[in-house]
Amino acid sequence: MDNSEDADFVASEHDRLISAISKLDKTQHITEPTRSEPSLLNSEFNLIKRSNKLDLNKVAKVLTDTANHVKIGKKLKKTQDENRVLSKPLDRPQAERVKRATGYEQTKKQVGRWDPVVARSRGSDYVSFPLKHAGHKLQPTSEFLSKLKLKSELERELEELDPPAEIEDEDDEEQVYPMSYEEMVEQRQHLAKMRAQQSYTAAKAKRQSKIKSKKYHRILKKERLKQQLKEFEELQKTNPEEALKKLEALEKTRALERHTLRHKNTGKWARNKMVRAKYDKEVRNQLAEQLAVGRSLTQKTQDVDSSDDEGDDGQIIPDIALAQDPMNPWMMSEKDKSNINTEFDFGYKKYLKDRIVKKMDNSDSDSGESTTNQRDAQTTNDLAVLKKSINRLSKDNNDNIYETANKQETLDKSEVINEDLDDTTKNDHKATTTKQLKINNRILKSKINKKEFKKAKCKVNEAVATSSWTVENIEDKASNKQTPDVFSIFETLENKAANKVEKKLKRLRQDIAQLEMLTKETTTKNKKQKTDEPNADDTLEYLKLKNKKTKVVVDEALIETSSNQADSTINIGHKKLENIVATINTTTQEISKSKPANSDNNIDPTRFIEVKPKFLNSVIADGETGLDQLDDHEQVVPRVNIEEVFEEDDVVAGFRQEKEDEINKDKEEDINLTLPGWGTWGGKGVIVKTPKRKRNRFIQKPAPVMPRRDENKGDIIIKEYKDPKLQVHKVKELPYPFKSVKDYEATIRAPLSNTFIPEKPFKKLIRPSVITKAGTIIDPMDEEELLLPKNRKFGNTDIIKITSMK
Amino acid sequence: MKEPNKKTNKRYFELDKNETEQKSEGQSQEVKVYNVKITPRILKAQKFKEQHRKSVKPNTYNKFNKTQKYPGKAPIDPERLKKYTRGKGLVGKGVRHPLYKEKLKQKEKKINYAQVQSARAEILLTEDQGGITIDDEDGKTTAISQKIIAENIDIAAATKIFELNLDFGPYRAKYSRNGRHLLIGSKKGHLAAFDWITKKLHFEINVMESIHDISWLHIETMVAAAQKEFLHIYDNTGTELHCVKKIDKILRMEFLPYHFLLAVVSEYGFLTWLDISIGEIVGHYNNHLGRCSVMTQNPYNATLCLGDPKGVVSLWAPTVKQPLAKILCHKTPLTAIAVDNRGMYMATSGVDRSLKIWDIRNLDGPLQHYKLRSAPVDLEFSQTDMLAVGLDETVEIYNDCCTQTTEKPYLRHRMAKSISNFKFCPYEDVLGVGTTHGFTSIIVPGSGEANFDALESNPFQTKSQRREAEVKALLDKIPAELITLNPFEVTEVDVPSLKEQMEAKKKLLHVKPKKMDTTPRRKNKGKTHIARKKIIKEAARREYLEQTKEVQKSLKPEQKQKAPKQSFGVLDRFVSNPKSKK
Repeated sequence: MDNSEDADFVASEHDRLISAISKLDKTQHITEPTRSEPSLLNSEFNLIKRSNKLDLNKVAKVLTDTANHVKIGKKLKKTQDENRVLSKPLDRPQAERVKRATGYEQTKKQVGRWDPVVARSRGSDYVSFPLKHAGHKLQPTSEFLSKLKLKSELERELEELDPPAEIEDEDDEEQVYPMSYEEMVEQRQHLAKMRAQQSYTAAKAKRQSKIKSKKYHRILKKERLKQQLKEFEELQKTNPEEALKKLEALEKTRALERHTLRHKNTGKWARNKMVRAKYDKEVRNQLAEQLAVGRSLTQKTQDVDSSDDEGDDGQIIPDIALAQDPMNPWMMSEKDKSNINTEFDFGYKKYLKDRIVKKMDNSDSDSGESTTNQRDAQTTNDLAVLKKSINRLSKDNNDNIYETANKQETLDKSEVINEDLDDTTKNDHKATTTKQLKINNRILKSKINKKEFKKAKCKVNEAVATSSWTVENIEDKASNKQTPDVFSIFETLENKAANKVEKKLKRLRQDIAQLEMLTKETTTKNKKQKTDEPNADDTLEYLKLKNKKTKVVVDEALIETSSNQADSTINIGHKKLENIVATINTTTQEISKSKPANSDNNIDPTRFIEVKPKFLNSVIADGETGLDQLDDHEQVVPRVNIEEVFEEDDVVAGFRQEKEDEINKDKEEDINLTLPGWGTWGGKGVIVKTPKRKRNRFIQKPAPVMPRRDENKGDIIIKEYKDPKLQVHKVKELPYPFKSVKDYEATIRAPLSNTFIPEKPFKKLIRPSVITKAGTIIDPMDEEELLLPKNRKFGNTDIIKITSMK
Repeated sequence: MKEPNKKTNKRYFELDKNETEQKSEGQSQEVKVYNVKITPRILKAQKFKEQHRKSVKPNTYNKFNKTQKYPGKAPIDPERLKKYTRGKGLVGKGVRHPLYKEKLKQKEKKINYAQVQSARAEILLTEDQGGITIDDEDGKTTAISQKIIAENIDIAAATKIFELNLDFGPYRAKYSRNGRHLLIGSKKGHLAAFDWITKKLHFEINVMESIHDISWLHIETMVAAAQKEFLHIYDNTGTELHCVKKIDKILRMEFLPYHFLLAVVSEYGFLTWLDISIGEIVGHYNNHLGRCSVMTQNPYNATLCLGDPKGVVSLWAPTVKQPLAKILCHKTPLTAIAVDNRGMYMATSGVDRSLKIWDIRNLDGPLQHYKLRSAPVDLEFSQTDMLAVGLDETVEIYNDCCTQTTEKPYLRHRMAKSISNFKFCPYEDVLGVGTTHGFTSIIVPGSGEANFDALESNPFQTKSQRREAEVKALLDKIPAELITLNPFEVTEVDVPSLKEQMEAKKKLLHVKPKKMDTTPRRKNKGKTHIARKKIIKEAARREYLEQTKEVQKSLKPEQKQKAPKQSFGVLDRFVSNPKSKK
């Protein structure tokens, strides 16, 4: 019993344990009720979660009673079977295609690793095989040490000169930038602006230069002229020094312009005349004159530049007189620039030229004088000499005038100049007669005249060493008034001329007074306080450009200042003079220096300037004069050139005709497709005049040809030919990668031979693209090549793309 | 203003700018913050910079560089570099194919390298050409005679002044290309060749006929003599190698060394080019100019310059039977022509006693026009562009007379016999004059090229070197067809035929014609960029104006010191007061 009780107890305990454990699980544990007997009622407490599915296995298990049932059961089981039949395998080609595709993907990846390697080696300049070089063998210690040497003498010296920098240890050093960010930005902006402006101006200039309208250009020119005039006038008021400079520049540009455009017998008028020139002498003369004018206009620029040539001008004159042939336009034009110069040296051109010459002379004479002064330091002597010279000059005065006038008359054929000259002489006479009141004045006047005519004769103006004065040229300015051709711009300056004369006289008077004062000083030495600094300054003033509009001062007192000794002041004056001379020299040097620089520019002076013959001091061949007598200082006096006189004029004409023929030979003629009488009345007496419409339709003009190389080159014929033998050597077809001739020609522009370039680049240029080392086995690449940095870093994707495509 | 302390859910863009700035400033006073708008480009650049810096920093070489006084290679003067330029290279997107593009880029680099190396190699030209300098203030050298020169130079150099008195009439003399050997031939048949420095005679014969002209061939073992009838070729022992009967009655000869051509003009106006390497006549025709005894070659393009009695200089090539160009130089018969070594200038002289310098490269001129006191007999340019002018019995040498107008001769040498011809000796400061009574050698300081290229022509050539050079020269022989006015014409594409081909291809059906740009690299003359020209002109003008201003300023003396004037009180206004001069 106990056992049973015990058993009961155990059982109950067990049940409790189980229930406790089951409590741990939160899910409901409802036992499935078993149906013991059929009933319609289903207890709601018996409802449990259960799949409604009928387990067919269990059903089949039940069906075991009869054989029939077994069959049915089996069938039922079979229907339940979930296993399926394998599908039919793919066709072989398809299967293989699939296999290939996957294989391709795989290998593509594998091979793709080589792309940069291949691309690099294809794109590189050359490849050398074997790729792997034998590694550097480790040297034995003794061998390594044997290479270490003491530094040589040269090395030590070099080191001394440029000590090798010691390697610094610390790395963190602030990098110093030359510019801050803002500065950089600013600079870049500035540069960009500059560039933009440049391009704008370029574009504008290009656009303007393309305008063909004559009217536009005429207006433009007129406007520019007006503008310049205005500016000039303004400048004249404010800064006469500048104004003269400007005038010079204007003159230069004018001459250039004239040269390029006018008097070249290219105009319509000239062409019309040219037709008649063959038969009419007068017309020929006119044309020649025109040409001569053109030449004379161009002459000026050269004159300004090379004042040394001044001497030549006059001397050629007799030559020309002989060589002159009015019939021959060539000769007229060539007959000589100097002659033409005298004819057309009107206006300010002459004025400027003279002024420049004078400047030179002034500096010369003054410097000469300064030396004398240094020697003596006594002005008394000077004055005495001066007086003498003045007297002499006054005697010569009138004679001189007439002589020179006569000379000029003989020289110059043009009436205009003669008139001018007469006028000027009259003027001078008037001047001399009216101003007889003061003796001094007259003397000075005569001096002026003398000097002028000296200039006119173009002799080397040797310093008289009497005075420190030089006198402006009046005659030229006076003659300017008569010349009708002078630009209106220059009129204002002409007015100044008269003023200047007066002013000069004043100044001279003043100077004399001062000199007298000086003499008094030196002799008596009583008035040591009185000095004549103004004198020194005045002499200086003569060196300067005299272009200022001056007021006429009626009477001006001598200004007496400071208290230095006369000698010292004179010395100061010397110094100043020397300074000026030096500056003049330097400036001339500068100019001469700048000359070749100018020629370097795109503007070729030879295009504008007709070359003027330069007479060289060469030997006389005939042995008339010995070598000893040759002196380079001596002026060359060209003799009448017999060869020149008998020059064949037909030569030039013949050559030009030849050129004309050559040009015409290549010219294609118009193709005339008009049928006479077609669409118009025909027959005798009908004036045939092709209407415009017809002309346009039926007369075809040939295709425009390239301009000839010798088109603007004067007496030069360059044959335009096609040499078939040369063409064999030339490239006729562009090789593959090139699409423009320019590019191809650029690649073959440089020579390869070592006769033209140094050896090293030569070797580089002719290096073959594949180099193989002889006597070695060339192994294929292995995968190590992939790891090389040069291959890994190769980044030209375009080439990789191209090379991997294949 | 919002309270800065208030900690609300503020988004970053709502934050006050000042606040952040304050914050940052509070951290470090020195750092200033710029508000730079960051673009991807800047970022990229920054990234690159950082990478670059990283890579560079450990490099000690860079450090080394900083403190080195003369780091790396010496810089080259851009002007000198410009001298060796080969023109504009390949630029733009002309070639699209990346591989070819890369290759062409590499080639371009190599060409640039060649240019740089050439400029660097100038350091090897150690010798400098000499000259006469005088302490005189005017520096006139004309009066310096050979005697003075001989006294002032070393003995070895003084031996170069010598005179040969020979009796066989007017002599013509020519130096070999390396300047070592001299050939003289006289009107009366005397023919002699010798090493003029050592005075070692090679041969001396009398051909028993008149000799009109002589010439060295490509090496000094062969000479050509134009005798009375035919052309004879002798070797250096005086043995006659050939008698070329196809060429007769020769007046003048010129040897074109790079083409191996002996160019000849005959009495009847026939021009003949004889290829001496194969013995064939490559060009033979009549020039229809009559008798022209003035001939020279243009070393630049190997054309012949022929001066005719009408004063016209015509240029000839063997393959073209008309003159390539004609220049009317003088209106009188020409007496002499000379072309300088670089083919830049041509000097012509006529009976009219004038001497003109022409730009023969551009066919333009005259650049200079001189008038002499007598007509020159002969003209000759030296290697350094000195011009020797022979005036009957005197030789005058002009220095630098082409680019600028010269004033006076550099040297003058007078002899007692009239000149027949003269030549400057290459690589020596020597002028050899063939006269009526022999040969005179004078020293002209600074006339020779100081640095010789031994591969080109070597005055100290040995026998083996000579042989080597001969073979090389033969390999480098230029075909006669390439003689044109522009020697670089071969490097140009034949555009007309290219166009023709393109036209022909266009006519084919179903063929897509390729697009080609046929504008040539060298533009034709007269198509210069106008705008550029204008700008340059403008710049030049401005420069000129500035210069003149400066000159004016320098010419201006100091202002006159104003003296204290007497004062009249109120009445001062009536005192005339002329404006002081500026």
